[in-house]
Amino acid sequence: MSAVRSIRRELVVSLALGLVALVAIAASATFLRARAEANELFDHQLRETAASLAGVPLTGVPISGAASGLAGQEDQLVLQIWDRNGVRIYLSRPQQALPQYAQLGFNTVATDTGEWRVFSLLAGERVLQVAQPMSVRRELAASMALRTIVPLLAIVPLVALLVWFGIARGLRPLREVAAAVAARSPRTLDPVAEAGLPAEIRPLVRALNGLLGRLDRAQGAQRAFIADAAHELRTPLTAVDLQAQLAERAATEAERSAALAALKRGLARATHLVEQLLALAREEPGVTDRPMAPVNLGELARSVVAEHAAMAAERELHLEFAAADDRPGSTVVSGDAAGLRVLLGNLIDNALRYTPSGGRTSVEVARDGAEVVLTVRDSGPGIDPDERSRVFDRFYRVTTQATLGVPGSGLGLAIVKRIADRHDATITLGTGLASAAGDGLGVTLRFAATA
Amino acid sequence: MRILLAEDDPMIGAGVRQGLRQDGFTVDWVRDGQAALTALRERVHDLVVLDLGMPRVAGLDVLRATRRAGDTRPVLILTARDALADRVAGLDAGADDYLVKPFELEELAARLRALARRGAGRAAPKIVAGALEVDPAAHTVRLDGARVALSAREFALLHALAERPGSVLSRAQLEDKLYGWNEEVESNAVEVHIHALRRKLGADTIRNVRGVGWTLAPPGTPA
Repeated sequence: MSAVRSIRRELVVSLALGLVALVAIAASATFLRARAEANELFDHQLRETAASLAGVPLTGVPISGAASGLAGQEDQLVLQIWDRNGVRIYLSRPQQALPQYAQLGFNTVATDTGEWRVFSLLAGERVLQVAQPMSVRRELAASMALRTIVPLLAIVPLVALLVWFGIARGLRPLREVAAAVAARSPRTLDPVAEAGLPAEIRPLVRALNGLLGRLDRAQGAQRAFIADAAHELRTPLTAVDLQAQLAERAATEAERSAALAALKRGLARATHLVEQLLALAREEPGVTDRPMAPVNLGELARSVVAEHAAMAAERELHLEFAAADDRPGSTVVSGDAAGLRVLLGNLIDNALRYTPSGGRTSVEVARDGAEVVLTVRDSGPGIDPDERSRVFDRFYRVTTQATLGVPGSGLGLAIVKRIADRHDATITLGTGLASAAGDGLGVTLRFAATA
Repeated sequence: MRILLAEDDPMIGAGVRQGLRQDGFTVDWVRDGQAALTALRERVHDLVVLDLGMPRVAGLDVLRATRRAGDTRPVLILTARDALADRVAGLDAGADDYLVKPFELEELAARLRALARRGAGRAAPKIVAGALEVDPAAHTVRLDGARVALSAREFALLHALAERPGSVLSRAQLEDKLYGWNEEVESNAVEVHIHALRRKLGADTIRNVRGVGWTLAPPGTPA
């Protein structure tokens, strides 16, 4: 038997127990009340009997009529009479000896045959004593109490049964909600209908619908990402595929080697795209749980710039690094060093890619009040102010005559934005180093300094 | 057969252009939708290969604008989106065929030949004019069943003339079929190729209509 809790079972059991307790209380109350009433009634009877017998000349042996009549009664009355010298002159039931009791009025006397209620009355020269066992009264009270509780006890199973089915009926909406939720699949996450549901279930359904909505949105975003990624991967793969076909059908060695060289470039591009996709996926909200630690942004930028020196030289670009503040710790931020390295790499990579050869790119880390400011500038074509908000969208690429033909994944700035967001850093795009190519691009990130 | 290729990706564009050239097509390549619209207005291309994911003006918009302008030239769309909705949207916007990336160059060439055929109102893959048989897929020409060896340009010229039997094509029209934008057109090139064709196929096969151009009159057709 599994120990799964059941609201229905618990309700029925506690209700039945409550009812039984209630019946018990009612029974004892009835018993007490009935006993009190019986006491009053029988006391009255004792007194009446004594009074009625006061004038009757009873002596010696019991008179068959009156005494046997008394003795035969169910209320088991016993009568004895004493004279003024304390000599018993009459006992209605010889086998039943009552103690000699001088006190007048009502008394409760304990004997070896149980408790007795005795009423003594002084009548002329004699003392009349009428007595009755207390058990008579208790039995009467008990039988009265029993008569009260029997119908009540009969009601208990009836109520339990009603409750059992009532709860089943009441819980039916819950089963319907369960069925509706079970019918949901990752493809159909539409909310469960709230109409007609009891107030008790509504908060649950509402919370569930909230969760379903969030799941649906997260899943939609993921699906869009996968569709976009598949689409974007298809382009470099198509290029690689075409070059492979051209290499196959090449008639001359020169054609073949040209096709193979193009194929290699295509592979490098596909690889870059896959790496960028992975970097972006790692920066998806909720994916990364790398802890934040103090990172010297100035030092990190210096090392990433150094890594790009070869690329800059190859493209005949002037790449420079400037740390405006040399005080130790002045450019320390709370961050994820690996993420910040990716961020810097993407910014510098972009700057180098889009700047025509002979141009300049600069990376600067400076302290500005409570902030550490990272600025990457280039002397490339820059980004039109209208397009500045859109370049952070994944796969969005600026398409001007100047950028046409520059290979790129369209993910660099999207990755930068995610990492900046994770660091609560603000990011702004502006003009960079003006040149013949245009106003250049300046990317500025502001981080909160730790000290 | 002159093709307008509209494709923004430099590697794919270069690859398709090279592959189609090897298959005997004359290819002009534009890299964005705006340039595609400009090139389409020239009306020198027989077929259009259109990438849907182009910057500036999206491929579908180019297609719609072209069809609105009453241009009925066959259009084959290239798309990296293989969802049914994307393919249907392309065909409904007026495309005649589509290929999903990545694709085989051979298939692209075959589909383009099929589109050209349908565009010329033919169903048979080979063009037969009297005793002359031109096979655009195999790049072969037979005269009375015997194979005639032609250079690529000679074949292209003959193909252009055979495509529209009975019509007269001017020198400028023929030059448009033979040369892409960046190719240097040699002076007298058309005359030189026609001279060679007449030598190989018979002097009467290509007739000169003075002041207008040339037309095909293969042996075995009633004059």
